[in-house]
Amino acid sequence: MSLPLVEVTDLKVYFPIRSGLVVERHVGDVKAVDGVSLTIFKGETLGLVGESGCGKTTVGRTILRLYEPTSGRIVIDGKDITDLPERELRPLRDKMQMVFQDPYSSLNPRQNVGSIVAEPLLIHGMERKEVDAKVRHLIEVVGLPHDAANRYPHEFSGGQRQRIGLARSLALNPALIVADEPVSALDVSIQAQMINLLEDLQDEFDLTYLFVAHDLAVVRHISDRIAVMYLGKIMEIAPSQELYTAPSHPYTKALLSAVPIPDPKVERSRERIILKGDLPSPVNPPPGCRFHTRCPYVQETRCRTEVPELRAMKQGQVVACHFAEEIADGKITPRSEMVGLAP
Amino acid sequence: MSLAQAEAHELELEQPAGLWKDAVQRLKRNPGAIIGALLISMFVFLALFADVITSYGPGEQVGSLGGNGSPPSSEFWFGLDKQGRDYFSRVVYGARLSLLVGVVSVSVGLSIGLVLGSIAGYFGRWVDGLLMRIIDIMLAIPSFLLAIGLVTLLGRGLVQVMIAVGATQVPLFARLLRGGILAQKESDYVLAARSLGAPGPRLLLRHIIPNSLSPVIVQATLSMATAIIEVAALSFVGLGPSQPGLPEWGLMLADSASRLEQGLHLVLFPGIAIVLSTLGFNMVGDGLREALDPKLKS
Amino acid sequence: MSEPLLSVTDLEVRFKSRRGTIHAVNGISFDLRAGETLGIVGESGCGKSVTSLAMLGILPRQAYPADGSVMFGGRDLLRLKDQEMREVRGKDIAMIFQDPMTSLNPILTIGRQLTESLRRHLKMDKETAREEAVSLLDRVGISDAGDRLRSYPHQFSGGMRQRVMIAMAISCRPKILIADEPTTALDVTIQAQILELLKRLVSEEQMALILITHDLGVVAGVCDRTNVMYAGGFVETGATESLFATPRHPYTAGLLDSVPRLDASGKQRLVPIPGTVKTLMEKPTSCAFAPRCMYAVDESRREVPPLREIAPGHHVACFNPVPESDLPQGAITEAR
Repeated sequence: MSLPLVEVTDLKVYFPIRSGLVVERHVGDVKAVDGVSLTIFKGETLGLVGESGCGKTTVGRTILRLYEPTSGRIVIDGKDITDLPERELRPLRDKMQMVFQDPYSSLNPRQNVGSIVAEPLLIHGMERKEVDAKVRHLIEVVGLPHDAANRYPHEFSGGQRQRIGLARSLALNPALIVADEPVSALDVSIQAQMINLLEDLQDEFDLTYLFVAHDLAVVRHISDRIAVMYLGKIMEIAPSQELYTAPSHPYTKALLSAVPIPDPKVERSRERIILKGDLPSPVNPPPGCRFHTRCPYVQETRCRTEVPELRAMKQGQVVACHFAEEIADGKITPRSEMVGLAP
Repeated sequence: MSLAQAEAHELELEQPAGLWKDAVQRLKRNPGAIIGALLISMFVFLALFADVITSYGPGEQVGSLGGNGSPPSSEFWFGLDKQGRDYFSRVVYGARLSLLVGVVSVSVGLSIGLVLGSIAGYFGRWVDGLLMRIIDIMLAIPSFLLAIGLVTLLGRGLVQVMIAVGATQVPLFARLLRGGILAQKESDYVLAARSLGAPGPRLLLRHIIPNSLSPVIVQATLSMATAIIEVAALSFVGLGPSQPGLPEWGLMLADSASRLEQGLHLVLFPGIAIVLSTLGFNMVGDGLREALDPKLKS
Repeated sequence: MSEPLLSVTDLEVRFKSRRGTIHAVNGISFDLRAGETLGIVGESGCGKSVTSLAMLGILPRQAYPADGSVMFGGRDLLRLKDQEMREVRGKDIAMIFQDPMTSLNPILTIGRQLTESLRRHLKMDKETAREEAVSLLDRVGISDAGDRLRSYPHQFSGGMRQRVMIAMAISCRPKILIADEPTTALDVTIQAQILELLKRLVSEEQMALILITHDLGVVAGVCDRTNVMYAGGFVETGATESLFATPRHPYTAGLLDSVPRLDASGKQRLVPIPGTVKTLMEKPTSCAFAPRCMYAVDESRREVPPLREIAPGHHVACFNPVPESDLPQGAITEAR
């Protein structure tokens, strides 16, 4: 593997819950991200999956310092940006960009496409003359029609709007792009166009992606490695192939088995782990392993009391489960009352 | 209902032609807004060409003094008032004054409100808490009472009255803009601009405020009507602009209210003028509200 | 084969809009038999939701069924009076929607909302209705049902709310349940729970299910038969297994090629369907998919292809169906 571009160490992001009229009291925290460590290597795509509320979006946005980290360290390309004030951060922002989920809300409806794509260039001080040429080039690169610059976002379809957002993100020749659910608002036939475009751009511009999404099939397709999050913590990180063929964490197993596969033969013969219950609240996460309340493999010892650390399993695979080896060897089997096995 | 929304989305029923163009189109199809706009245009026309339209000045004495004036005639369409002045001229010149009052006081309210609202919405936390509590206090006092208090404090010149009426509208505008800013501040495109490194003022002026303005524009239109009424009401209770003989509709009403049975025309014409002008602004305001907020249209 | 429970013939639905009439559904026909699960798949705007709303007579104001019939129990649902339709709705045919939050009244307790339809449709007294409500919640997998009756919708998670919606839908033992994107708003693990629940209920209650979704995976796991919809018409219908194994309409095949599969071996490039769907401002006179289709022939641009049976029970609306030799099995190459 090549050099690390992003190194996140023990990142915590808590959102305070406040109440009070003029003077607000701090009454609690939403522990959106609670001790996440991960590394993204230059040129790779790291997928970050998890269900809603697991903190994956917060991780992405905090790496770009759009949210303030509560504690921990974020190093990008060797530079610690954790505590940099916005003023010093601004010149570094050209290195790291974001693509948003919702192509309808991530573009200012009152700016035309040319002005949207030009904005980063103007902010970072490019000459007006050069800007126009660059904007034209970017519009072409992402496959938008030539006359797009003078039109407004609402004149475009969802897929095309997503391309506008992409053009804006590419404007500053970033090294890192955090793509937060970039295809989940799009129709299936359009999703594929976008995924292919992201792959092409990665080759062309030597990009590194943090691909945040809930759709495991999409994440598996595009990612080199995948990190699985649950309730603010990372449960497992593994190369995509290994994650699919040999998931180590019980949550990863359950997640994989819940993803529908568009093939009735496969669907009807699959063994499915169906988790009981809902996600606990991130304000008051369960003690010990966060997944123990829904884990089919939960044990009497350790799981409920001791927080599992991320530890290396096989090559390139890390997992946060006390009993990963025993589960892999089949010494611990799922409790039947915690799962519905289908069919 | 969400169902209908989902369907509308699913079919992309309305492909808009352009944000403002689209709003104008919707406005044009709204008969209420058209009538309102016609009413306003009529008053603007009267105000602009008052000296051309009327044959006499608003203070010019053309008939005999005293009594209850004379009723409408072919020479004096709206009759004469008790000072023997042409009532038609006075009502027409009144339009000039009322529109001025409306525009100036709304501008006062709007500009202070916008500044306070932007500060509260953008900085949030304790700044927001403090400003909003002050505004709550202002809102707790009936706005007319507040205007009376301010006039008493500032004096009774035309400018002072306009400022007083404008001040009562500050809380409304401040709250509206703050709400809009709070909603837009968290939106993805603002986050996107931040991730590009856009500095604070650029975020606020280029992204947040332009997208929070539509309810403010609607309110400004509606507030024109309120301002006209409020100034008229201040005049009516004797706290209006103190220059004697000013052709102000509220003052004209106040002067003749006690003599309703003798000179109906003295009450009728300024009354109708107030009703029609405020109606005009209200109808345009409602039309704008629908035009600028596509979600409301079905 | 037995008599169909529900029979839709040549259904057309149009929307009035400022820019003219939108032809949302253009003459679709299908039968639904008792206890059967039918999937209707398609992308947004294909008219799949409109179809179900038209069947239940709950189209938005600006839409109307222009032609066709929906026969159920010897009556044409499109021609029933509002009063009669209300009787059918909920009692014989029930529906659940994508967003369970907006389908529940936020200011009434779950118990109140559940017992209301029991008391109205089944004329139960208060106590019986309560007991029935408890047993319904129990059946949809909500524990402590007795206590839960006093809760308000906002105290429930999305998955729980969808369970409540399902409990309400099955409360009058309908013969048909229509589920419109029932799991789209939910997380995968919760989606798996809800789909299991639906499958179980359908077999326990002998209900027929119409599952409307954009997710091919969901259909593959749940439905006996699948109808693929594009631009207001069915392009391919058949038993789910044969339709997925041998998709003959270029759109179906293209859709299957364009979604990344979790179980794909190795990293292959996806094959997107080029172009985008156009809104139909007039009744189509040619194959609506032709502009995006590499198999389109002259005929496709002149005429609307009718649904033709190409294998037992497998129908395709195409003049030049994908030859079987072209069918990929997971292996998708760039050449195609």
